[in-house]
Amino acid sequence: MAEALVIKGLSKRFGGLRAVQDVSFTVQENETVALIGPNGAGKTTSFHLITGFHRPDSGSVLAFGHEVVGLKPHDVCALGMARTFQVAKPFGAMTVLANVMTGAFLRDRHIAAAQKKAREAIEFVGLGAKEQTPAKDLTTIDQRRLEMARALATQPRILLLDEVMAGLNPAEIDQAVALVKKLSASGLTIVIVEHVMRAIMAVARHIVVLDHGQKIAEGAPKEIVENPEVIRAYLGSYVHPPAPGDAHA
Amino acid sequence: MWETLAQAVINGLLIGGIYALVSIGVTLIFGVVKIVNFAQGEFVMLGMYISFFLATQFGIDPLVSLVVSMPVLFLAGVLLQHFLIRRVLGPNDMPQIFLTFALSLLLLNLSLMLFSANYRTVHTSYSDAAWHIGGLYIPVAKLIAFAVAMALSGLLWVFLHTTDLGRAMRAASQNRDVAMLMGINPNRVFAVAFGTALALAGAAGSLLMPFYSAYPFVGQVFVLMAFVAVVMGTLGNVMGALVASLMMGIAESLGIQFVGADSGLIVVFALLLLTLAFRPSGLGARRGR
Amino acid sequence: MQTSGNMKWLWLAVGAVVMLALPQLVTSSFAIDIFIRILLFSFIGVAWNLMGGYAKQLSLGHAAYFGLGAYTSTIMQVNYGISPWIGMIAGGVVAMLASLPIGWLCFRLRGPYFTIATIATAQVLMLIFLKFRDFAWGAEGTTIPNLGSAPLMMQFEEKSSYYYVVLGLLVVGLWITHRIEKSWMGYYLVAIGEDEDAAEAVGVNAPKIKRDIYMISAFLTALAGTFYTQYIYFIDPATAFSFNVSIEAALVSIVGGIGTLWGPVIGTVLLETTSALLQSWLGSSVGGIQLTVYSLILMAVILWRPTGLIGFATDVYHRTLRRKPARA
Repeated sequence: MAEALVIKGLSKRFGGLRAVQDVSFTVQENETVALIGPNGAGKTTSFHLITGFHRPDSGSVLAFGHEVVGLKPHDVCALGMARTFQVAKPFGAMTVLANVMTGAFLRDRHIAAAQKKAREAIEFVGLGAKEQTPAKDLTTIDQRRLEMARALATQPRILLLDEVMAGLNPAEIDQAVALVKKLSASGLTIVIVEHVMRAIMAVARHIVVLDHGQKIAEGAPKEIVENPEVIRAYLGSYVHPPAPGDAHA
Repeated sequence: MWETLAQAVINGLLIGGIYALVSIGVTLIFGVVKIVNFAQGEFVMLGMYISFFLATQFGIDPLVSLVVSMPVLFLAGVLLQHFLIRRVLGPNDMPQIFLTFALSLLLLNLSLMLFSANYRTVHTSYSDAAWHIGGLYIPVAKLIAFAVAMALSGLLWVFLHTTDLGRAMRAASQNRDVAMLMGINPNRVFAVAFGTALALAGAAGSLLMPFYSAYPFVGQVFVLMAFVAVVMGTLGNVMGALVASLMMGIAESLGIQFVGADSGLIVVFALLLLTLAFRPSGLGARRGR
Repeated sequence: MQTSGNMKWLWLAVGAVVMLALPQLVTSSFAIDIFIRILLFSFIGVAWNLMGGYAKQLSLGHAAYFGLGAYTSTIMQVNYGISPWIGMIAGGVVAMLASLPIGWLCFRLRGPYFTIATIATAQVLMLIFLKFRDFAWGAEGTTIPNLGSAPLMMQFEEKSSYYYVVLGLLVVGLWITHRIEKSWMGYYLVAIGEDEDAAEAVGVNAPKIKRDIYMISAFLTALAGTFYTQYIYFIDPATAFSFNVSIEAALVSIVGGIGTLWGPVIGTVLLETTSALLQSWLGSSVGGIQLTVYSLILMAVILWRPTGLIGFATDVYHRTLRRKPARA
């Protein structure tokens, strides 16, 4: 297997805050890696650094051997690395089709070709019936689907998904998990930031854990859930000793 | 030479006090309500006309009419926020920019229709008075205006830092969500911010009246100055706006003194463009970023 | 969108015939003057709308390019005897080049502060032309030498000829807009206007696209400047760089329908007709009335119908369509 994404010594400060400190990890081609950690651990900032929205203070990001640090987000996208946003950013006034066509124009500027590519991506994420719906009228899960379709239309080799399951109900999470698996099966390399442990365990082959901007562990899902440091830093923050009144709940 | 320079600095500093009142208003609204009020200058104009009519109709000194112009404009600000501005708040820039811009056009052109384009002045006993200190000439009316402007700015600072409402306004300007969590009613905070900003503009108008002419376009001079000062002094920062305004006043005055009478504005715009060129990112960046 | 292709062509043909015949049918010079104003401001609005409407870069400084176009062709004509037809293109090129540094500065800002910066740049240009007298006649301005009937110098005895010139400009502007709207560029512009970060994330080079559309917009606006100077035979900094040009460019688009092909035209028809009616009722003696009414219309549109008259018409159209089956 070839290395799709090699991140070395990535660091970023905002004023006095060390948002990301010396983070390194490697993503193999066609692997799904999850980036997890408590709120403020530096996951989204890492995405911003990898995709060119922020410039790291130091470190390197190699995508299929190309250095992307210093590139603008649109150049990173052109290199084959597409992302979604934690808070979905649809082009609200456009229809679903037009949104996704905007992504497709990166590879082919002809209307007919872009339309064809866009329809494929829309079908893939299961939005086919809502092609002509204005993006601002979509539900949360459909907006996430739209973001994925729009990213897919740019024909990436690496896809970075930022909390695509936040705010979804359990049934929707199952649908989203299925979709991520389907994306992986189509040959994509995926980096996913997620809070929903159930989803992470289902999709990720490898997990990187961040806390306070630093990598505290990485490994297979099974190892991670048993890692005491991870439990203390991350899982521990969610597990409270049951209060006496909770018994009947 | 040194005397000319010192004189120019004093002139600039004194008028800079008035610019500060306008800039602080702009920055307060931008900080709290997250919109730019293009009509801020027109409220200076309204303040001037209020003082002008009180002076000519009832013989009230413009400085005394401060107690009328400020509450009237405060109320106008509250109503404006409640009935108009509130309806366009949101992620979309277009309605916000063009609503306050339309308001500016409306007030300006209504004044043109009602009061004509004539210059209106009020002559007070101290309009021409001046102190001579060494070789320097300090006009009393401008000195009073400056002193009152600084006092009002100081009062605002105290209000923002010591009262619950003031703290709420500062919290709202730093982080909308945190302010919401603190249980602050944003509509009330916004209304007070808008009202306060307009009251400051009204005060600027009344303070100007003893030595400056009122005419429908007068606000444009002040609002341009304020925009430049606010951009230079970090958006949404009251102290920054104050310092930048005083500097703008001095820069304009030096321009007039050493480049030519019609060069004040060129100097100001040059400063704006230089600021834009050398303080690139973050300025006026979209909220929530 | 609902009309079939054939219907669309039919409407266009009817429109073309009416527009071409209009100055022959209505010969009053007052009326033709109003038609020319409507066409001119529609054209300026169309130029503004490309950047301000589609990409939502809300400029209030387009007078900069109107003025540069006007001054370039006038200086070439008065000082060197070069035809304004050539000067017009030269003015467009000057405006395009000027838009590069201006855009470089202004695009560093977003939202309202972009708008303020554009106002400042237009004002700076006006001040430059006012202050440096040797350069271009200073504040007094100059009249354009009247050559009588000289079509090659863009001077005509018949007002209707000016009408056809500006009609041609508007057709060009609409055609360019149509072509852009239907291409990848149109999608990119709207995407930038909706969310610049999201656009970047799908590979849109936002700074480059904004720069390019600003150049096109500036070029077209400059053509209007040349035409206007030729039409009124006079130029000075206050008219050429008038803030009112910047305002009206934005206003007609917003009132008619921001980011739509026909929005600026419909907005101009409404605003200019209102203005003409007001003038004939009240005379031009009441200063400020025109902009008072404009600002009220603008506020009404923003508060009740932010999509403009086009959006209003589409809503009504869809509502009546939806009712039809209920009636049947």
